[in-house]
Amino acid sequence: MKLIFDYDEQNSGHVTDEDIQVILPPELVRNDLPLPNVSEINVIRHYTNLSRKNFGVDVGFYPLGSCTMKYNPKINEDLAGLEGFRNLHPFSNEDCCQGSLRLMWELEQYLKEITGMDAFSLQPAAGAQSELLGLMIAKSYFREKNEKRTKAIIPDSAHGTNPATASMCKCDTIVIPSDSRGNIDLQKFKELLTPEVAIVMLTNPNTLGLYEENILEICDIAHKNDTLMYCDGANMNALLGITRPRDQGFDMIHLNLHKSFSTPHGGGGPGAGVLGVKSFLEDYLPIPRIIQRDSKFVFDYDRRKSIGKVRSFYGNFGMLVRAYSYITSYGSSLRKVSEHAVLNANYLLSLLKNTYYLPYDRKCAHEFVVSSEKFGEKSALNIAKRLLDFGFHPPTIYFPLIVKEALMIEPTETESKETLDKFASALITIANELIKNPQIVKDAPHTTSVTRLDEIAAARKPNLRWKYHNRG
Amino acid sequence: MDFIPTTEQDKNEMLKKIGVRSLDDLVSEFKPHLTRKLNLPKPMSEFELIKNIGDLAKKNKILKYFVGAGSYNHYIPSALNHLLSRGEFATGYTPYQPEMSQGTLQAMYEFQSFICLLTGMDVSNASLYDGASALAEAILLSSSYNGRNRIFVNEGLNPQYLDVLKTYCEGTDLEITSEIDEKTTCIIAQNPDFHGNVQNLKSLSDQSHKVGALFVTCIVEPTSLGIIKGPGDYGADIVVGEGQSFGIPISFGGPYLGFMAVREFLLKKIPGRICGMTADTKGNKGFVLTFQAREQHIRRERATSNITTNQGLMALAATIYLALMGRDGLRTVARVSYARAHLLLDKLQKLGFECLNKEPFFNEFIVKTPRNSEKILERLSENGILGGLIIDNDKILICCTEMNTIQDIEDYVSIVRQVI
Repeated sequence: MKLIFDYDEQNSGHVTDEDIQVILPPELVRNDLPLPNVSEINVIRHYTNLSRKNFGVDVGFYPLGSCTMKYNPKINEDLAGLEGFRNLHPFSNEDCCQGSLRLMWELEQYLKEITGMDAFSLQPAAGAQSELLGLMIAKSYFREKNEKRTKAIIPDSAHGTNPATASMCKCDTIVIPSDSRGNIDLQKFKELLTPEVAIVMLTNPNTLGLYEENILEICDIAHKNDTLMYCDGANMNALLGITRPRDQGFDMIHLNLHKSFSTPHGGGGPGAGVLGVKSFLEDYLPIPRIIQRDSKFVFDYDRRKSIGKVRSFYGNFGMLVRAYSYITSYGSSLRKVSEHAVLNANYLLSLLKNTYYLPYDRKCAHEFVVSSEKFGEKSALNIAKRLLDFGFHPPTIYFPLIVKEALMIEPTETESKETLDKFASALITIANELIKNPQIVKDAPHTTSVTRLDEIAAARKPNLRWKYHNRG
Repeated sequence: MDFIPTTEQDKNEMLKKIGVRSLDDLVSEFKPHLTRKLNLPKPMSEFELIKNIGDLAKKNKILKYFVGAGSYNHYIPSALNHLLSRGEFATGYTPYQPEMSQGTLQAMYEFQSFICLLTGMDVSNASLYDGASALAEAILLSSSYNGRNRIFVNEGLNPQYLDVLKTYCEGTDLEITSEIDEKTTCIIAQNPDFHGNVQNLKSLSDQSHKVGALFVTCIVEPTSLGIIKGPGDYGADIVVGEGQSFGIPISFGGPYLGFMAVREFLLKKIPGRICGMTADTKGNKGFVLTFQAREQHIRRERATSNITTNQGLMALAATIYLALMGRDGLRTVARVSYARAHLLLDKLQKLGFECLNKEPFFNEFIVKTPRNSEKILERLSENGILGGLIIDNDKILICCTEMNTIQDIEDYVSIVRQVI
């Protein structure tokens, strides 16, 4: 295994050097720049070979629950890369960026229609940053009303980002348990909903892949307590065109454009988080807002109540282009996405539920959670590793925390029946192996470039970077 | 156009296996139902998408940029995009399964190494959203480390970064103050600063350490590190910044690349993903995500940050950029950017512009204009040049990179000559 730092070659550096005298105080000037010089052919080979040790949706089935690893249409890449978008400076005069402003404004209109909300901010860089923005807005809102509310109710099945975000905003998390149908425990909810509760953060459908059956009642009770309802929209891929978060009673929702609207996940970003709110919260959204004035699109910075900015400029614009392209390709037939996401999930579930334990025996939404507890401790991990040998990316494992040995499976709508059949058959084969020949599962993977890696050693003796003296 | 491969026959077989009659039956629980079709445009074919979105792109006007202020128009080698668009990189996710993600993981390790080498710090994470929010994460880290809640911001911080800091402070109960004392959690300084000044920050760094505060340096134009010393050299405890200059298009402000590097003693407090080298069961070297106990998916309300998805592909772009440029290429980019900016200033001074930089500058400088600055920028704009960022009615912030040719500079000057 060679690191890029192991090369030392002639490299002309892609930019022509000139005879230049740099005059800076000597104590500020760098004497050494310990970067490698690598020829272009070896850069290409190095990273092409690295890419071959990687797995993406383009390589195979990637049913990573809660992450919506659907196919990312290639045309969206071409469109985001158009000269007029890619080379547009964010400080261009409004006259020079009418195309981009229009695209962003229209995207906001589409998202409003899809969720039922009254206004959107496209500024947050990811879902977690949208959550932070949502909590900041809640804080400002209650400050304005002269109310001191410092608590957030969050289900035990929630994404870790929800409680982590609450803590960042100095809000105490009150964990609400789930009931036997996988809904939040309504009785318990009523007890926990005190006047200090600023916000309830729910994912709907929740991370068990189940639609919250009491959502209307929950929102109603919360609103009577003047508590805000926040929807973590990570699972919006189940609901497009079928039901709208606003109609369910939510006051705010964030969407992960990289999930439902198919912008590539990039090995961990960039994503794009957008936040939608009802009109009574619109004034708090970050600046600038984009508005239409005399058939022109302009930035509006004049918002007294705005919480300010959560990042520089206007959002992950390149991802907004991709999402816009995706939404307009489906247009008014967007519902088809969710119908097929739900169809695929329920079909896969029906193939697996005799082999794996289904903790909540209901129809699922776009994903579902089964347990491998009957196969013993660490079985979810072992199954995940064995799946690699079958050429599949494993599901999310050990999440949500309330299901033991959880396998959280989200097939998405872009997979064929044949793929789902093969995946189910692999999982059933592995289940049989666990009974007849468990060692082959415990030693997996057998076909990848490396076998299981020692994570404990990685943390005990951290090696987090190449060091100069390593050269040799 | 859609991307759903299921045939009508497959669909019927699947519904039968599930035991329902129709797609509507499957979603009957999802209440309240939307009883109409979404009011969105008609579905479009690929050809129509190209036309529709292509027309929007054409409505934008691309000028010659003499503006930076947080977004720098540097040359991106052709090879970069070829590698970046490989589906194995672009369509994977956070490497939760290291055995099939060694490509992403090794690139993360290389990215962390590059950032450490350039900044002179011990440990880097695998990226944050952008420079401004990375700075905000730095104050949260600092406050969680020393339990203090006041921040001192040195003069010359990019105003957008300051805006983001203020928002985060408001939301997280921290406070920006004008004193430096034993309640100060950290001192923040940008270098080169918003006006391009290259500063010796040693004494400010010493001053922070004297009161037990952390010293945070913010780098917004990181090609400067090709010729200027890294903040590790003058005592920074945390270095954050914007990596957009490293091979990422200006793209109307995003996606960009936040980075953060710290001294060893802050390792367990750093937000975001970190990749480490380890070995597999056969003793082969390999990479994993490590120190995950800091993160939200494990630690929940006690996590160091809520961050999860960050800027993976942009960090890969920066890694490949630095590999393609090499030490010689990066130094050349820095030198040429420096030279172009100084050449332009030289010519503008001859026209009566006054340089307001109090210290040596890198590739950005601020000038007092002999005539209303808006008028000057307007005339430049009419001639296809974005001449700078207006700071005041007689002040402009101007930036050059290696992309601004000597001819462009001559054009700039001759247009300005017509209006003053």
